[in-house]
Amino acid sequence: MNASAPLLKVDGVSKQFGGLMALSEVSFEVLPGRITGLIGPNGAGKTTLFNCIAGVYTPTKGRLLFDAADGARRTNGFKPERMTALGIARTFQNIRLFSQLTVLDNVRIGRHCRTSQGLFGAIFRTAAQVAEERRIVDEAMRWLSFVGLEGKAFFQSSALSYGDQRRLEIARALATGPRLLLLDEPAAGMNPQETASLVGLIHAIMKEGVTVVLIEHDMKLVMSICEHLVVLDHGMKIAEGGPRDIRENPQVIEAYLGRGAAHA
Amino acid sequence: MNTKTLLRNALLLAVLAIPLLPFAGDYLLHVLTLIMVYMVLAMGLNVVPGLCGMLDLGFVGFYGVGAYTCGLLTMNYELSLWLILPIAALNGAVWGILRGAPTLRLTGDYFAIVTFGFSELVVLFLTNEIWLTRGPLGLPGIAPASIDLSWLSKAINPEWDWYWEFIGEKPYFYMAFVMVVGVFFMMRRIEDSRIGRAWFAIREDDLAAASAGIDVQIYKVIAYAVSAAIGAVAGSFLARWTMFLSPDMFKFWESFLVLCMIVLGGLGNMTGALLGSVVLIAMGELLREILPRLGMPAETRFIVYGLIMVLIMRFKPSGFLPKIADAALHNPIIVELRRSLKAKGVV
Ligand SMILES: Nc1ncnc2c1ncn2[C@@H]1O[C@H](COP(=O)(O)OP(=O)(O)OP(=O)(O)O)[C@@H](O)[C@H]1O
Ligand SMILES: [Mg+2]
Repeated sequence: MNASAPLLKVDGVSKQFGGLMALSEVSFEVLPGRITGLIGPNGAGKTTLFNCIAGVYTPTKGRLLFDAADGARRTNGFKPERMTALGIARTFQNIRLFSQLTVLDNVRIGRHCRTSQGLFGAIFRTAAQVAEERRIVDEAMRWLSFVGLEGKAFFQSSALSYGDQRRLEIARALATGPRLLLLDEPAAGMNPQETASLVGLIHAIMKEGVTVVLIEHDMKLVMSICEHLVVLDHGMKIAEGGPRDIRENPQVIEAYLGRGAAHA
Repeated sequence: MNTKTLLRNALLLAVLAIPLLPFAGDYLLHVLTLIMVYMVLAMGLNVVPGLCGMLDLGFVGFYGVGAYTCGLLTMNYELSLWLILPIAALNGAVWGILRGAPTLRLTGDYFAIVTFGFSELVVLFLTNEIWLTRGPLGLPGIAPASIDLSWLSKAINPEWDWYWEFIGEKPYFYMAFVMVVGVFFMMRRIEDSRIGRAWFAIREDDLAAASAGIDVQIYKVIAYAVSAAIGAVAGSFLARWTMFLSPDMFKFWESFLVLCMIVLGGLGNMTGALLGSVVLIAMGELLREILPRLGMPAETRFIVYGLIMVLIMRFKPSGFLPKIADAALHNPIIVELRRSLKAKGVV
């Protein structure tokens, strides 16, 4: 369907925690411009896979290949900040904001890896430093209005509603200038209206040229926006394909509803 | 100018005028200078536990390194204080990095234990390396600070001799004042910059910080270096002010006292650090007077400090000025942004 090279290639990735195989030999590709959904029951290894891709964990086995702006490369063992600099941003299942800082500062921090001023510039407020600070603020405000939080720029981030905190995490991630955005259960804790506007937001993100990979339990949401799905269960990939195929896949139904359900 | 800046400037002027008052004797000026030395220390320490969120129990080590660097350079090479200050700051920063780099992977309590160990090591070194430090005898008779511009004045007119030696408390008072103002503005600027934001991010959540693209380890090292450099500057001043150093001036209690100051003022708030220094030093002086009259040794004041900390933890756990990153709100770029958002009716 898409002739372009994959943006991310997960190739036989395994992750072991002591005796627990959280991931075993998972392979799939993320194509640019296609929303990929990562689904599976609780404890399937979805977040662990994100953590491997984002550099929080090093895979025990397998390869991660990311097509960064300057060419494809193997990224196993790269640290999170390096992955962010390469162009992979992420949000967290259990929101991790800089809670005592303002909404604006949270997003400004996202610009860190795209800016360079150091101690000297900070102390002497050189022209270059001031210009950079101005650009950081402009960029941050652009992403805040993108997610609809412009009016809350000076709120302390912990004072935001749950749904707004999720949006703020997305804005912070976008501010890092990613090509690939990993969203870990962005709709968790959102009310139906918030979820509906999240769908619009994800489409807008894609229009910005950022490819989204999404972990989500809300099947209606997943089926409506993902063009491609990868299903994990007990650390193994049990299915992959378009939403329609996945919905009818007996293995998937079994994983979600238990043995026997597929035949019911 | 709003009322807040007006008030602040008035306060600064008032402080500057104190030495001119008839009742301002040496004792008062001495105590005020001491407060200012602790202000510098508190701002320096604040960088690590306050901005970065790492508990540091051994800050006094850098104070000691700075003081002895200055004392020894003065006694052995008769260097000018103005030359020593940057050397001592650099030496402090080097030790900050040497202490910080191997402990980067340590978090929480483990890091705190290492910092404590470091400052004890400094005291042991100062006590035992007698060939260098004269050990427990200390360094007596360090020359006072001076400003020597005679090379300039003599060039203009051979009769002129622009040389001032700091005699009495007054010049030190003014020098300490300049130091406090300088460090304060420097810290406020760093706090409100890319580096300061990176520190706050680490303090709030280091995984989220890394995911936002911050190299957590590098920014911790920068914090250790800056913090230690400020501690060493305070130490250099101390050496030329008291003109005597001994290892027991840099015991753990000093670290604890400075830590109390920033906890009291509000971790991560530079104004809070100033406030904490005023409160605890002023109280220390009062207790030093009062306790002996009640038949208790002056050292019992540490019990009172402990009590205060317990009360703070109970009733005001984030200190008097708990707000962090508030320097950013006064940045012209941000002020302008707020105004334009208001004008657009967004906020
Ligand atoms: N750091 C860790 N150390 C040990 N075990 C871990 C670690 N992280 C995850 N696990 C285990 O790995 C398995 C997969 O966890 P993971 O969080 O990836 O699941 P998930 O698919 O995201 O589940 P959920 O839908 O509940 O978020 C679980 O059994 C979990 O307990
Ligand atoms: Mg998960």
